[in-house]
Amino acid sequence: MDFTFSDEQQMLRDSVSAFLLKNYDFDRRNAIVRSDAGWSREVWQQFAKLGLLALPFAEDRGGLGGSMADLVAIAEPFGAHLLAEHYTASAMLGGAALALAGDGSPAAGWLDKVITGEAIAALAYEEGPGTPDPSLIQAVVERQGSGFSLSGEKRMVLGGGDADVLVVVARLEGALALFAVEPAVQGITIRPYATIDGRRAANIAFDTVAIPAEALILADAGDALRGVLDRAILALCAESVGAMGALLRQTAEYAATRKQFGVPIATFQAVAHRLADMKIAYTKARATLLYTTALIDTGRATPKDIAILKGQTGKLGRALGEAAIQTHGGVGMTDELSVSHLHKRILANDALLGNAEYHLRKVGVLA
Amino acid sequence: MNIDFGSELETFRAEVCAFLDTAPTPAIREAGRKLTSVFAQFDQVMEWHRILYHQGWSAPHWPKEHGGTGWSVEQKYIFAEEYRKRDLPPLLPQGVGMVGPLLIDIGTEEQKAKYLPGILKGEDFWAQGYSEPNSGSDLASLQCRAVADGDDYIINGSKIWTTYAHHANRMFMLVRTDSSGKKQQGITFLLLDRMDYPGMTVRPIIGLDGFPEQCEVFFEDVRVPQSGRVGAENDGWSVAKHLLKHERGGGAQSPTLKRGLERIREAAQTTPSGFGTMLAEDPVFQRDIGELEADIASFEHFEKLAVSGHPVAADPAYPSINKTMNSELTQRVTVMLTQAVGNEALPLQLEALRVGANVEPLGSDLDLIAMPWYLNSRATTIYAGSNEVQRDLIARTVGREG
Ligand SMILES: Cc1cc2nc3c(=O)[nH]c(=O)nc-3n(C[C@H](O)[C@H](O)[C@H](O)COP(=O)(O)OP(=O)(O)OC[C@H]3O[C@@H](n4cnc5c(N)ncnc54)[C@H](O)[C@@H]3O)c2cc1C
Repeated sequence: MDFTFSDEQQMLRDSVSAFLLKNYDFDRRNAIVRSDAGWSREVWQQFAKLGLLALPFAEDRGGLGGSMADLVAIAEPFGAHLLAEHYTASAMLGGAALALAGDGSPAAGWLDKVITGEAIAALAYEEGPGTPDPSLIQAVVERQGSGFSLSGEKRMVLGGGDADVLVVVARLEGALALFAVEPAVQGITIRPYATIDGRRAANIAFDTVAIPAEALILADAGDALRGVLDRAILALCAESVGAMGALLRQTAEYAATRKQFGVPIATFQAVAHRLADMKIAYTKARATLLYTTALIDTGRATPKDIAILKGQTGKLGRALGEAAIQTHGGVGMTDELSVSHLHKRILANDALLGNAEYHLRKVGVLA
Repeated sequence: MNIDFGSELETFRAEVCAFLDTAPTPAIREAGRKLTSVFAQFDQVMEWHRILYHQGWSAPHWPKEHGGTGWSVEQKYIFAEEYRKRDLPPLLPQGVGMVGPLLIDIGTEEQKAKYLPGILKGEDFWAQGYSEPNSGSDLASLQCRAVADGDDYIINGSKIWTTYAHHANRMFMLVRTDSSGKKQQGITFLLLDRMDYPGMTVRPIIGLDGFPEQCEVFFEDVRVPQSGRVGAENDGWSVAKHLLKHERGGGAQSPTLKRGLERIREAAQTTPSGFGTMLAEDPVFQRDIGELEADIASFEHFEKLAVSGHPVAADPAYPSINKTMNSELTQRVTVMLTQAVGNEALPLQLEALRVGANVEPLGSDLDLIAMPWYLNSRATTIYAGSNEVQRDLIARTVGREG
């Protein structure tokens, strides 16, 4: 057994951290988030150069054939730096779904562009107030002539307003199917917005949208989709654990330097014990993250393992974030420190793809 | 023991309902529906304050001779209950809840005549200038200095977390007038007639929910008259402690929490649990909301005992127990609400939250308010004495319950 990053993974992680430290400090990040676009194409191009956009994809698709351990190694720093760019959306969700398509299909063409950074992909999956389980999907596709007609509404599509290609999850003859759809097609209405944690997302309505036959990526895509979602969950959790680590560091530092009653607040037992609880929470969440990564990479992760990871990260992340704010007092309540932003990133990742309440219940259900 | 309000109060309730159903303007109602903080949107809450004043109801707990209603505790409770049921914005506490009662208790006749009417009528808004960058929980260490000069004080220093200082036209504050003795000595309580004295600047601070609610206030050789002093020079700490009784004092907070519960149940009607039903029918959700409801019920029982004059309110720890319970229940309500609206809590909808906004919210009213309310309510365990400090106070009284 070995749950440490390999030398190569550590190098990759260090180079990503170094890049973010240099080019993506909190002020720079905030300037990007507040810009019209809300994310930086320049940063994206740098990611392409560093090979990050190719990392998750198989070598025979033009990728680097990275493992989930490789991805976790970089997703933690992404979370710690509050990345606004669509890495999870485009590489782990949209791109991963495009990669399910056969060679020579339009989706495969889109994947080439996603890997080079020329295109952004998004997975139009969640509906209503959230879709913890694919069985809740209601969007439908019907056969029409030689192609299809798509209807339904997708909400909280990460990167949905910025995507050059949408991979839409909808029911075709009862089973879940994936389609590569270009957003400019008639009948598609996109309402983009910023999220509380500084990303961009969209609600997307499809009103009997005509799509060509070759847009079908995969019919009967239930299992494949599950695999994409599981790996995206791992990436989201890695980001959250990265954010938790940053919160723990910053809070410990603050408590050691902030003085009230003539002494550092860390010397008050109530504060000290809370810091200890934060450390316990972080240690627990990270252990589960690394272990689950190894399970996925060896093809042994069960649905229950994924539910444990998502449930624990959501629950422990929320507790840690709330403790960080409380320990900071008034300054923790502002937009001016990264503390509240890190907490919001953790909350958003918790809500996506089923929150801790759902996943912990699922752990119990999957006896 | 007697649990009933008494039948004569039903007429009173009807009168309250009739007024609350008709008096608020649409904008005031909107401010109530979009409430995500204890501090409602300024223009609408002040407009509502003035409407309540015309009805004679802007300060129910004030003595009658100063413009209070003379209501019994039961009547006040009924008023609060009906008020919250309708999602109306609560009046800002700094005036009618804090500096007003203080002046009634210990202000000079001149100060009462000068300031009470403006507070009662909702013409003035007072900011509370206590906290400083280096003096939060340890408030008595405050350093903002005032030096006597003729009939004036000259103030230098800064205040922080001053809620709505950017809307205020007046401010009550603590300043240091002597540094020679113990830190609690040498503090003076001042009333400022204006917020635009030369040398005074206000910088709003954007909160984690995206709204400017607190401010920083800077003083550079700001000259204010000594006539604004409450109590003696260097005796401001005991004045502040007196005010604290009003700030932390109990009342009728449980109707707000109960309304929150209702709204969680409402949201749970349309959010799938992922286990075959909507959350509202999900046994796990029911168990969780049941636990929260039971805790809120106990808090309501505690409040009702307290307002009835039961000895629970005479316990020295009463204000701290009240504050701790209320703040932590508020946070639990908002956590559950965000969970019940799911992903719909994630879009940032700052413009849609503004009263009179001309953009449509992406979802329901609850979707709109859940996240900013949750985020804002993280403050409830920090302000008015953090809950850690409250627990220290409670701990000191343990074993002395009598
Ligand atoms: C939304 C909001 C509105 C506010 N409005 C006003 C206002 O209008 N006017 C005003 O003057 N102030 C206002 N405040 C300021 C508020 O009173 C202070 O934030 C509060 O006193 C805490 O001080 P601090 O923020 O400096 O935190 P600190 O005192 O630095 O506390 C940081 C952490 O240390 C803990 N801690 C400190 N001392 C101890 C101890 N002895 N034992 C255990 N734990 C301890 C605290 O509990 C907290 O978790 C407001 C604050 C907020 C968040």
